[in-house]
Amino acid sequence: MLISFNWLKQHVSLPDSTTPEEVADKLKMSTVEVESVRHLGKELDQMVVGKVVSADKHPNADKLQICRVNIGVETVQIVCGGSNVAEGMLVAVALPGAQVRWHGQGEPIVLEQTAIRGQDSFGMICASDEIGLGEQFPKKEEKEILDLTALGLRPGTALAAALHQTDSILEIDNKSLSNRPDLLGHYGLAREVAVLFNREVLPYAEKTIVPGKELGLKVTVADPALCHRYMAVAVAGVTVAESPAWLRECLSAVGIRPINNLVDITNYVMLDIGQPTHAFDARRLQAAKKITLAAVLAAEAQTFTTLDGKERSLTADTLLITNGVAPLALAGIMGGTDSGIAPDTTTVVFESATFDAVAIRRTSTRLSLRTDSATRFEKSQDPLNAERALNKLVELTLQLCPGSKVASAVADVKHFRLAKQPIEVPIAFFVEKIGQELPLKTITTILERLGFTVKEKKKVLLIGVPSWRATRDVRIPEDIVEEVLRIYGYENIAPCLPRLLLAPPSPNALRNLERRVAEVLSLELGFTEVYNYSFVSEAQIKRLGGDPAEYLQLDNPISKEKPFLRRNLLPNLIENITTNLHRADSLKLFEIGKVFHADESGPRTREQSDELLPRQDTWLTLMYVRKKDASPFWEARRAAETICRRLGLAVSFYPGARTRSTRGNIPPVPPGYRLGSLCLVGYMSFIRNSPLAMVSKNEWGFSR
Amino acid sequence: MREELQKIKTEFLSQLQRLKNLAELEELEIRFFGRKAGTLTTLIKGLKDFSAGERQLLGQLVNDVKNALEQAFFEKRERLQQAQWAEALLREAVDVTQPALPLQSGGHLHPNTIIQKNLEDFFTSLGFMIFDGPELESDYYNFSSLNIPEEHPARDSQDTFYLKGHPGWLMRTHTSAGDVRAKQKYGAPLRVISTGKCFRNEATDVRHEHTFYQFQGVVVDEGISFAHLKGLLEAVVRHLYGPEAKLRLRPKYYPFVEPGVNGEVTCFLCQGKGCRVCKQTGWLEIFGAGLIHPHLLREGNIDTSKYQGFAFGLGLTRLVMLKYGIDDIRLLESGDFRFLEQF
Repeated sequence: MLISFNWLKQHVSLPDSTTPEEVADKLKMSTVEVESVRHLGKELDQMVVGKVVSADKHPNADKLQICRVNIGVETVQIVCGGSNVAEGMLVAVALPGAQVRWHGQGEPIVLEQTAIRGQDSFGMICASDEIGLGEQFPKKEEKEILDLTALGLRPGTALAAALHQTDSILEIDNKSLSNRPDLLGHYGLAREVAVLFNREVLPYAEKTIVPGKELGLKVTVADPALCHRYMAVAVAGVTVAESPAWLRECLSAVGIRPINNLVDITNYVMLDIGQPTHAFDARRLQAAKKITLAAVLAAEAQTFTTLDGKERSLTADTLLITNGVAPLALAGIMGGTDSGIAPDTTTVVFESATFDAVAIRRTSTRLSLRTDSATRFEKSQDPLNAERALNKLVELTLQLCPGSKVASAVADVKHFRLAKQPIEVPIAFFVEKIGQELPLKTITTILERLGFTVKEKKKVLLIGVPSWRATRDVRIPEDIVEEVLRIYGYENIAPCLPRLLLAPPSPNALRNLERRVAEVLSLELGFTEVYNYSFVSEAQIKRLGGDPAEYLQLDNPISKEKPFLRRNLLPNLIENITTNLHRADSLKLFEIGKVFHADESGPRTREQSDELLPRQDTWLTLMYVRKKDASPFWEARRAAETICRRLGLAVSFYPGARTRSTRGNIPPVPPGYRLGSLCLVGYMSFIRNSPLAMVSKNEWGFSR
Repeated sequence: MREELQKIKTEFLSQLQRLKNLAELEELEIRFFGRKAGTLTTLIKGLKDFSAGERQLLGQLVNDVKNALEQAFFEKRERLQQAQWAEALLREAVDVTQPALPLQSGGHLHPNTIIQKNLEDFFTSLGFMIFDGPELESDYYNFSSLNIPEEHPARDSQDTFYLKGHPGWLMRTHTSAGDVRAKQKYGAPLRVISTGKCFRNEATDVRHEHTFYQFQGVVVDEGISFAHLKGLLEAVVRHLYGPEAKLRLRPKYYPFVEPGVNGEVTCFLCQGKGCRVCKQTGWLEIFGAGLIHPHLLREGNIDTSKYQGFAFGLGLTRLVMLKYGIDDIRLLESGDFRFLEQF
């Protein structure tokens, strides 16, 4: 998520001296991950407004023109490939030293004075996407350069100043927001920044809607579990037009392309307070001066075409917004193709709702439809925010469309209850959890600044959670401790090691065995350890005489060729041999790893369940190969003997069956030898005619 | 007799002076002192033919000459021996600095095994046991038991391999999957680490692998606090990166801990000045950690009114890459000997 520093400052009174970096640093230490801070003006360094004095065809290139460009202090020659460049046009000129993205792609490169097809070029006349302004000035065709003629500026004006690019953009890692629905907009983040800088967040300026009577508005919610609140209101007399510059700049700064005033308003409100909303054209909801909006469950296998033109197949748990008859939108995720704002829309109906997080997530995951709206709803929105958003939508619409007015009552179907029950946290709990005593005053101040209410009663704090934190995030005393701790600062907690009972850990016999075997093999016998993937292909299985039907298979493999879970370590070790043998005359390698046998029982899927996972033993397989060695068996046998000797085990060898194994967990043994000791632990065999030998051991755990 | 004695003496001494090696010396010894036919021996044997008075005088004389000759002989022999040894030393001199024989071709442990052993040894020295959980896990142990119910957004960050025909089976996405298993098996108090192979369904490139290794530790006991977590993590950091390395904790959301943090250490390559590896921040993210969420303790049948705990995990694969300066994660499971033979 992108956060505009200027936008943020509209909500919190930070001192002028506070830099975006300082804000980013404090956020990183106490709240969220800030991945980068971009200074928009800095990116337009060494760029000025230029006026094209003349544009003549390049003598050596059909699609290039040689322009004389007035850049204020002088007039320079620039070769330009723009399809629309013309005499008299005001253009964005990147001077040598400026950083541009070639054709709007890749990493920025530094411009140098150069010659193009034999003609000197002092800089570059830029397209909007080459200087990061693609959102603000979308291109209409591929080779179009940015036309600034409408701005009417003096040549030589710095581009950053000309385009009011004074903002800085904080990029926040979305993953670090997954438990903080309140931070998905500028106001929420401002609230947090205010606490971190000990300043005040400004009260959110909103006007309550004065209802109209012109239109009837009926809202129904079929399943309250999926829709906790549904609000709507109609505004008539709107004119769809381009948004004013301030709004377009706000959206462009955070990477949202301005579309038209009504759509831009809904996007603005979402970015401002984190609440997704939707704007419908009233004509699609209307029958005889009555507007209907219904949140209903889809029929199983019902189809619906979303705004992106894709037909979606729905399930019976999908919530749809309809006009009582036809579906208009996938609730909380995406609108339909023809119910949205059109150029000739005159009455708009705004929806501001709180949809159930789990349901939204289920539907959006199933349809692979990840929208800004869905990612916000699935984090559990504050139902009070729905009302604030609707207020703001209407206020902005009335402001941007002179002559428009609220045409209906405000519909509000409520199925939510705010968490009124305070969280009880004994004061002693803080020191127990933190390991350090914090003054009570510090604790209560931090919590109150974060919007919590705190009452003390017999050494217990009764803590009221603000609505914007109460939906999922803060529920138990541990959550409260975290709030205090992160604001107090992890760096202010003195580390100390716990005093624990002196007790020897119970040994892990398998791990000890793995280690000893690996050391004998690598340090004594010259074998090299490899780590392989656990996945194998059908061809690999069949080559060793196995049956893929015996193998467990991934539902969603990364490689379509290798969806099977290995039953032994051999297939990928053979691949290792193949990839290395052209560089060596001799190879010795081994792997220790888990194999998966669905036909044998392993651990339980949960404590009280009778369902068992597949058996997953740890196996060792080693391979030895030497060119022109007719009897690699002896080397492999020596390895087996040495390992057994080091483990204090007697070992003897006897010929095995000459039949090919049918069970995939026993490696193929033609013409084979079995290795036995106290009990049968493994097999050794030649593999086909290739000079390979190997030992595979199962159940090494008999070290008694 | 006296003349003869004088002649032997002169002859012996002049020959002794001329001879050049021990073989000639031995020859001389036989010629003069030989028991059967040595010139001097023969002369001494002739003494018995003289009268008793003369014999006494001559005997004394002969003895003096014999002693003188013997002394000259031994001195000469000593010199020759010294010379021979000196010559032998010179002849058999060895240049101990010269590489003579090729190294015996040894095998190699995988770098992951080396670092894993290092960490396991450190933690077992602190009384931690090593627990191995299954790699093919149930949805319950990998997610639900860790306070990540179905439809939880946290599942987004862990793209999961599922098993065909077995709903609820998956390849574990983290070693935390063994957390509740260990608690159920051993109860409290508990000090346990688990290490192993984890899987995530993401496309591989220089920095991403669908198969990687994690390291995870859990402490459950009475009175365990955040300060203890910080103390242990500092000890680990000092173990890995030396006494000067610093630890920094920042908030991070993991559903299975509350509060949750991520732990960073001063970049050991640039000592915190900022470099390519630490993306100019001076810090390397190493840990995810926190106080165990009570949900996990309850699932592990542990009395939450009596016991608390902390858990931490670190990307073993990442640690290996940092330690050895490996810049392509895919090398670790490539089976390429050119890579493996460097360890």
